Amino acid sequence: MTVLLASLIKVVVIFGAMMSAAGLATLAERKVSAWIQHRIGPNRVGPFGALQPLADGVKFIFKEEFVPESATRWLFILAPAISAMAALMSVAVIPFGGLIGEIDGTPIYLSIADLDIGALWIVAIGGLGIYGVILGGWASNSKYSLFGGLRASAQMISYELSLLLCILAIAAMSDTLNLRDIVELQNSNTLLGFLPAWNIFYQPLAFVLFVVCTFAETNRHPFDFAECESELVGGFHTEYSSMKFALFFIGEYCAMIVMACLTVTLFLGGYSVPFWEDAPWYIGLGAFVVKAAFFMFLFLWVRWSLPRFRYDQLMDLGWKVFLPLALANVLLTGLFILL
Amino acid sequence: MVIVKRKELTLAEKLYLPEVVRGLRITLAKMFKKPSTRQYPEEPLIKTEVTRGQPRLAVNEDDTIRCVSCGMCEIACPAYAITIDGGETDRFIEREPKRFDIDFLRCILCGFCEEACPKDAIFMSDELELADTTRKGLIYNIDRLKRPVSALKKRIDYVKKINDRWRTSSST
Repeated sequence: MTVLLASLIKVVVIFGAMMSAAGLATLAERKVSAWIQHRIGPNRVGPFGALQPLADGVKFIFKEEFVPESATRWLFILAPAISAMAALMSVAVIPFGGLIGEIDGTPIYLSIADLDIGALWIVAIGGLGIYGVILGGWASNSKYSLFGGLRASAQMISYELSLLLCILAIAAMSDTLNLRDIVELQNSNTLLGFLPAWNIFYQPLAFVLFVVCTFAETNRHPFDFAECESELVGGFHTEYSSMKFALFFIGEYCAMIVMACLTVTLFLGGYSVPFWEDAPWYIGLGAFVVKAAFFMFLFLWVRWSLPRFRYDQLMDLGWKVFLPLALANVLLTGLFILL
Repeated sequence: MVIVKRKELTLAEKLYLPEVVRGLRITLAKMFKKPSTRQYPEEPLIKTEVTRGQPRLAVNEDDTIRCVSCGMCEIACPAYAITIDGGETDRFIEREPKRFDIDFLRCILCGFCEEACPKDAIFMSDELELADTTRKGLIYNIDRLKRPVSALKKRIDYVKKINDRWRTSSST
């Protein structure tokens, strides 16, 4: 019973943390873009504009809820919900920190679910997010939305392959799909005595491929063909307004957070602190947040630095470069494991 | 015919990622620079004598207007923003405007009126803020356009300086 209660508390806390992190991410996006462009950014609401996400939320709620007459109504309403839900659900298996304590002999870890197929869960549920995008684009019954949705789904499917192959290499190396075990494995020893045994040092190619694929997977610049303001008006969310529009964005930012967390978990030792194997869980959580925050910053940083790819170049890159490289990486990894 | 020779890309450039890192370094360096924007209502605009704000009519120390309603500015105005009705006066200059309207919905702040004026009566002030809730409110009449010479001093000196070569021979 108390174990169940502890799980419930974890769900509520992590859900709340995710939502506020998504809000913070929108603020960070605007602030970082402003700094990069020599501007100040939002600074009217609260100290240094810190309450801007709240103001945005209030604005979204009070906007008119508009559904186009020719739209497929229930799919139109369902799409943003799927998008946000998929992103929020996939966070369930991310291990944010180590062991908190024990209740009745059951160890309580700082993650909602300690699944044995954690990595698979993230990919499977994250893959559902595509439905949000393509259904939103299709149900809007607008040509730009449909283009955006189709492009997004084509892109996400093709990059998901490389993403999966990168995860596969890690999973093969660690001999498990459980994210906590993968982290513990990186925590437990050192590489050559002076490096932490993070997978980034074992799998540098997979790391680079994985990071680039996460950009494509979350529809971020330079691969944001789902939105593509200059060609497709707003892409799949052209016809959306009010809180439905906001839900798409919560979905996008949550997906970014999940991908940042996943990168940290798979390649940068998750919550492990270098050279401090049995660090208390709160230090581990701090280390995790710092690492994940860097990858969140990378998302924003790249967005405001690089121009958008051309669509055919994106597909070329995905199928002709990334997929062979990822396959070769898996083969090499397999070879090394066999030897 | 121009034959454009495309630069052969090096391997590092073809790989794209090193170039991405180079771009990221530039934007990161930019992040720590001072913002070049101004927080406008709190931080006022920088105004110098070169600032070409809305035209204003110069009023002498003895409260007489310099304008003689010759209509030069009205003709010079490319936006047809100025409307003048002249009238007689007992003062030495004999004529002064009865009506002098500038429609700031039309005015493009070009400064041609200032250049055209033979009596040094109209100057581009440093007043730039312009807002009203009606169109009528933006048509300024003579009373709203009057400014004492002391308020326009900087601009007057500046205009005199740049126009000196042909103003020194003027009979006024």
